Amino acid sequence: MSVESVVSPDGKKLTIVIKGRFDFSSHQLFRDAYEPFYKAPDTYIVDLKDTTYLDSSALGMLLLLRDHAGGDESEVRVINSNSDVRKILAISNFDKLFDIN
Amino acid sequence: MVDVHLDPDVLSGLQEVMEGEYPKLLETFLDDSQKRIEALRTARDDAKALGKIAHSFKGSSGNLGAVRLAQLCERLELESGEPTANLEALVDQIDHEFAVVKPLYESERQRFQV
Amino acid sequence: MSALAPAHEALTILIADDSATDLLLLSTIVRRQGHQVLTAANGREAVEVFTRARPQLVLMDALMPVMDGFEAARWIKQLSGEALVPIIFLTSLTDSADLAECLDAGGDDFLAKPYNPLLLAAKINAMDRLRRLQATVLQQRDLIAKHNDYLLHEQRVAKAVFDKVAHSGCINAAPNIRYLQSPYALFNGDLLLAAYTPSGDMHVLLGDFTGHGLPAAVGAMPLAEVFYGMTAKGYGLTQILREMNAKLKRILPVDMFCCATLLCLSTDRRVVEVWNGGMPEGYVLEVTTGKRTPLASRHLPLGVLSAELFDDRTEVWPVALGDRVFLLSDGVLETADANDRLFGVERLQQVFDTNREPDRLFDDIEQALVAFRGEARDDVSMVEITLRSGLATRATGPLYADSGQSCPRDWSVNFEFRAETLKRYNPLPYLLQLLLEIHGLRAQSGALYSVMAELYSNALEHGVLGLDSLLKRDAQGFAEYYRQRNERLAQLDSGYVRVQVQVVPNGAGGTMTLRIEDSGPGFDVEKVLAQPMDIDRLSGRGLGLVRQLSRDIRWSDGGRCVCVEFSWEALA
Repeated sequence: MSVESVVSPDGKKLTIVIKGRFDFSSHQLFRDAYEPFYKAPDTYIVDLKDTTYLDSSALGMLLLLRDHAGGDESEVRVINSNSDVRKILAISNFDKLFDIN
Repeated sequence: MVDVHLDPDVLSGLQEVMEGEYPKLLETFLDDSQKRIEALRTARDDAKALGKIAHSFKGSSGNLGAVRLAQLCERLELESGEPTANLEALVDQIDHEFAVVKPLYESERQRFQV
Repeated sequence: MSALAPAHEALTILIADDSATDLLLLSTIVRRQGHQVLTAANGREAVEVFTRARPQLVLMDALMPVMDGFEAARWIKQLSGEALVPIIFLTSLTDSADLAECLDAGGDDFLAKPYNPLLLAAKINAMDRLRRLQATVLQQRDLIAKHNDYLLHEQRVAKAVFDKVAHSGCINAAPNIRYLQSPYALFNGDLLLAAYTPSGDMHVLLGDFTGHGLPAAVGAMPLAEVFYGMTAKGYGLTQILREMNAKLKRILPVDMFCCATLLCLSTDRRVVEVWNGGMPEGYVLEVTTGKRTPLASRHLPLGVLSAELFDDRTEVWPVALGDRVFLLSDGVLETADANDRLFGVERLQQVFDTNREPDRLFDDIEQALVAFRGEARDDVSMVEITLRSGLATRATGPLYADSGQSCPRDWSVNFEFRAETLKRYNPLPYLLQLLLEIHGLRAQSGALYSVMAELYSNALEHGVLGLDSLLKRDAQGFAEYYRQRNERLAQLDSGYVRVQVQVVPNGAGGTMTLRIEDSGPGFDVEKVLAQPMDIDRLSGRGLGLVRQLSRDIRWSDGGRCVCVEFSWEALA
């Protein structure tokens, strides 16, 4: 499991890439990926291309990110999720909160 | 060939480690060895007992730098397990070797007893 | 002279050697290195000194008279128990079999003769590091064991407290519920609650909190209290859901929430009403046809959205006697086999498909899980509720301590609920509480609530909203009926339901008259009452129920106004 964060050159977009299992063990790494930025990005992108599994505490972490990014005003996109991960996101209806594709 | 009997480097090392206890160590060794020489003589016909005494004697004479004495003890320890060995001749050699190194240790001891 | 520098801390070291020379040499070296020295001339002495003085490290000659070093080492290792007392064998042995014997006897290292003080100091330091490491490990192990005991104790206490709250409902008593839940499921965040409403419907909640341990269990407490409190008072699913969501949103941290399926199963009305937020699909199983209706998750879990954004829309499905509702937690689908493959929805569907005996379905699923995994997981929750006829059990109201002396005896009250209220407020729980002030009526509170609920929903749905009950002829129309109900209610901008309660004393007893009037067009009372009361028809059941439960029912004003009476004798 690893978490990497990349800021776009203009500083407006933060991409967080999660590899392997996205569960409670990644809690601190995930927070470290978005909390240290002094100037908050406009858009957050969570890239799940290499995420093999996601549990309910990972959903909780996405909620934390959304809260950090401004709650209902936030723009958080979840991209590249595989079919298993998409199923979990669908059951919890997280597409109502996040832009998922 | 003094150095075959006694390794001067070992002695100077011991002297450094023991400091004021150095003469006492030499004295203990001489007493100890005297007892072992007598034990060897008593056990002349008991190969197993000879082997054990030789093993222990080998250790302390090695520690004290009595190179040739330690070598002889090792031979006795090894050959005590062989039925054809001439153990008596080896005991005599050990006896003889100790008679050689004993005055050397005594003079070394006297050198440090001020 | 760094070689002779003392180790991390001064140790007490036992030296056992039958050679006085070696013993003197070694003890001098060790003492110079800053340690305290104990000596022994043979193995037996060594064991005696060890027992008495408990040195931290032992230098042991292998061959000694009386008791050799091997045997002494075995004794010392046994006496020192779990603590590591390193034993360094002093040996001029060179035969590998002899060296192996040293290790077999519990020796940790060797020091060859003639002694090298540098090497000896290094070995003592290395062994001391090992010894301290072992001591730390033991200390931490004991600490962890202590913490764990403490935690288990806390969990036991929490579970005992929680069992009182969680199982205050009918989950164990109801004959039509079967469930499977591990004893510590609560600490995996799983929650299963069931209770009867005042009208005899059954509310069931299967929930799954994010996280594990006490944090998950803590959120369950307020959830259970809302569930039981509001169910007993006659609140419907939407109000209960709103209250649960608001409460969890308020008390839980942002990253915690509760996936939940809440359902209301009504034997009287032959319907199941469902709200699923984040739980795996449950199913309604039609026993006669074998048809499975999935109860899919349509909503975000509880505790995520603010009250303004929360979506309380439920789905309603018709059910017949013998039909089953089946709910499960993700622990069922995520049960993994030895190769980390998940049980999954497809395997569950296969069990449903191959089942021919509905009574065995629950066991079949349980067996399939065991066969798949080989052992039971501790976070599997399943529940099966069967629709059964027979006497409905109703919520029993709270016990009242007062004797009835203070009870109001001669009064009336009028309400008018208008469009904006009808849209979002259910006045029934409030009205029931009011009527329960009449002590003589408490024994009939279930029937009273059922009648009031039916008459109110007739006034709202057929009167104000103008819905045709004939729509509910078949399952498809049934769904359409509830779709139209939600739509018309959302668009409602006029109309009313009036409720009048009149209480008149009669000797020591009395009579309560309940009058409900709506703004709708009315209906042909004679014609509707002339129809046979067919209990298995989906439509028109409400009136049959009301006529069974109340002695006297009268319509007036062209069906727009209905009146029922409840009487009571003197209290015993």
